[in-house]
Amino acid sequence: MWSRSKTADLTEGRAPALRFPAPVSAWPASHPEGRIPQAQTASRFRRIPVYRQKYIFLLPGLLVLIAVILFPLLFTIRVSFSSWDVYNPGLNNAGGAMYARMWDDARYWEALRRLSVLSISTVLIQYVLGFALALLVWREIAARRFFRVLFLVPMMTTPVVMSVIWRTIFHESLGPLNPILDAIGIGAQPWLSQPGFAFAAVMVVEIWQWTPFMFLLLLAGLLSLPSEPFLAAKVDGAGPIRTFLSVTFPMMGAISVGAILIRAIEASKIMETVYVLTSGGPGTSTETVSYYIYIRGMRDFQIGYSAALSLTYLIIMAVALTLIAKALMRLMVRGAQA
Amino acid sequence: MAEIRLETLAHRYSPHGAYALKPLDMTWRSGGTYALLGPSGCGKSTMLNIISGLIHPSEGRVLFDGRDVAAFDTGRRKIAQVFQVPVIYRSMTVGQNLGFPLVCQGAPAAHRRKRVETIADRLGLGAVLNRPANALTADQKQLVSLGRGLVREDVAAILLDEPLTVIDPQQKFDLRRILKEINVEFGVTMVLVTHDQTEAMTFAEEVIVMNMGEVVQAGTPRELFEHPATRHVGSFIGAPAMNFLAAVAQDGQAMVPGTGLALPLPADVGSGSGPGPGEALTLGFRPEHLQLAGKDAALSGTVTRIWFEGLDEIIALSHPAGEIRLRAPAGTGLSPGDHAGIVPEPGRLRLYVADRLAG
Repeated sequence: MWSRSKTADLTEGRAPALRFPAPVSAWPASHPEGRIPQAQTASRFRRIPVYRQKYIFLLPGLLVLIAVILFPLLFTIRVSFSSWDVYNPGLNNAGGAMYARMWDDARYWEALRRLSVLSISTVLIQYVLGFALALLVWREIAARRFFRVLFLVPMMTTPVVMSVIWRTIFHESLGPLNPILDAIGIGAQPWLSQPGFAFAAVMVVEIWQWTPFMFLLLLAGLLSLPSEPFLAAKVDGAGPIRTFLSVTFPMMGAISVGAILIRAIEASKIMETVYVLTSGGPGTSTETVSYYIYIRGMRDFQIGYSAALSLTYLIIMAVALTLIAKALMRLMVRGAQA
Repeated sequence: MAEIRLETLAHRYSPHGAYALKPLDMTWRSGGTYALLGPSGCGKSTMLNIISGLIHPSEGRVLFDGRDVAAFDTGRRKIAQVFQVPVIYRSMTVGQNLGFPLVCQGAPAAHRRKRVETIADRLGLGAVLNRPANALTADQKQLVSLGRGLVREDVAAILLDEPLTVIDPQQKFDLRRILKEINVEFGVTMVLVTHDQTEAMTFAEEVIVMNMGEVVQAGTPRELFEHPATRHVGSFIGAPAMNFLAAVAQDGQAMVPGTGLALPLPADVGSGSGPGPGEALTLGFRPEHLQLAGKDAALSGTVTRIWFEGLDEIIALSHPAGEIRLRAPAGTGLSPGDHAGIVPEPGRLRLYVADRLAG
């Protein structure tokens, strides 16, 4: 009934006989919403009536948005120009002092550089591994349903729990990894007490945790591909490698960009793995930006300073991810924009 | 350019399942044009995919110029296959698309470029060689698919799997013309799979009608039209379909009561006392082979419907023996409800015993 009356409005170009929530005719002539100037709508053909009540329906969502995004953002901006800390709590006016301090904070920039290396390398490795696994169970193979589910198991575990388990595995005297390495002759390694090893450990956990996500998206992409290009490639005499490079990979371009970006956004926030596995240590060798901001804000209670750090972090990430997205689109989705 | 021979070829998708393609023998002359015609699921695409090597037949052999190609995978059979959906490699330009089979063969770049240019010019794609293939129209994409086949000099056959289905009518016409020209120029064997009888009849020298995984009849379009081997072919080929009226055996003749239509019974039908059980008799005749006559003709009926096809009128008559359709030049002046007489052209009646052409 509703849609029919709507169509009638558009086609006949006059005030609708029936409108949501109640027929106009049922409203008193003085009703504010009901006063659609008859002469005006009749003279302007195909005029769409203005539904002012739409704002009422938008309001709840808008309020939530203001409460959880807009207000915190504006408040953070304000706080970043104050020197709110544990000694002088409250909003004062410190100008750009916090930003100046940030400029000289080598630990922050080092954390940012570390985060870039960590997220780019783990996401790329996740992409390669995820793609390989997806290709493996894409075609008709025995027990492929079993493998498809098996490969998803790491993703189904809570990240913090996963990190705790990995911390146990990496534990240098109690964990199972070092005895195994000993047994096969590689020898025990200082997994969580040497900077390089600790960084590698964080990478391993990240990759373990999120490769299934890549696998899932890429498998979905592979399964949605049409079969004809593959038949054509066979007819044209292309071998498996050439088929992958010329047919499969280009067709997977768009979904690959999507998957990589989703993961990159997630990876730019790496925090819980570091928190549980190494607490940023040894020293600051595995500290990521979000973890460093957490230390400054929640542990040292330097609210003003951590606000300045967060804001800069947000801007850098927004710009970087936009550039990465553009570059990936250009690189991997050739021909799609033509 | 090769002669393709199918020897007791058959296929089932599961070892003990039903035949998707029942055993058949067939030879396709080098440079000929053939059409596999039949409804969806009749096994025509299965047959095509067996020839191209995408499916391995469960029985029988495929021979190219007398050589068994069972051991050759698809790429080495040197056939081109054009699919229903235009297939282009999206990441490549038109030129790269056309050159792809040569790249796979490892042909030298200079030779490749020359060959691609020749084929592109022939197909009218010369101007778009450096454009991304993705930007082409559907019919151009189909030409690219075709071109990828032609670019190999030693192409044995071009297999076309309903290539015109997604193409606009006008472009369809052009594309069909190009296919014909290519066939004449390159002398390459072409096999077209289609469910469109007009497409099959206009394209092919020989049409192979298939139904339920079986080759029902193979012959020139004229043979299929004039001597349909079964009632199915009679109904499937020609528009409107062939008329069929149930007949009875009487005095050594099969006749349709009340129509004066009769044909002598062949000697092998029945045992003197008429056809045996399961040997139902039917007389068939084409709507094109009927003439309008006066109301007092031996065969007459009431006009129920009239519709136009081009300059012809198709008139449906109701008769106690069944509906009879006839094609006549427009301007008969008949209208529904009129009584009209018809006379079949002599020699055009066909007798079907148990749905198969007798004699």
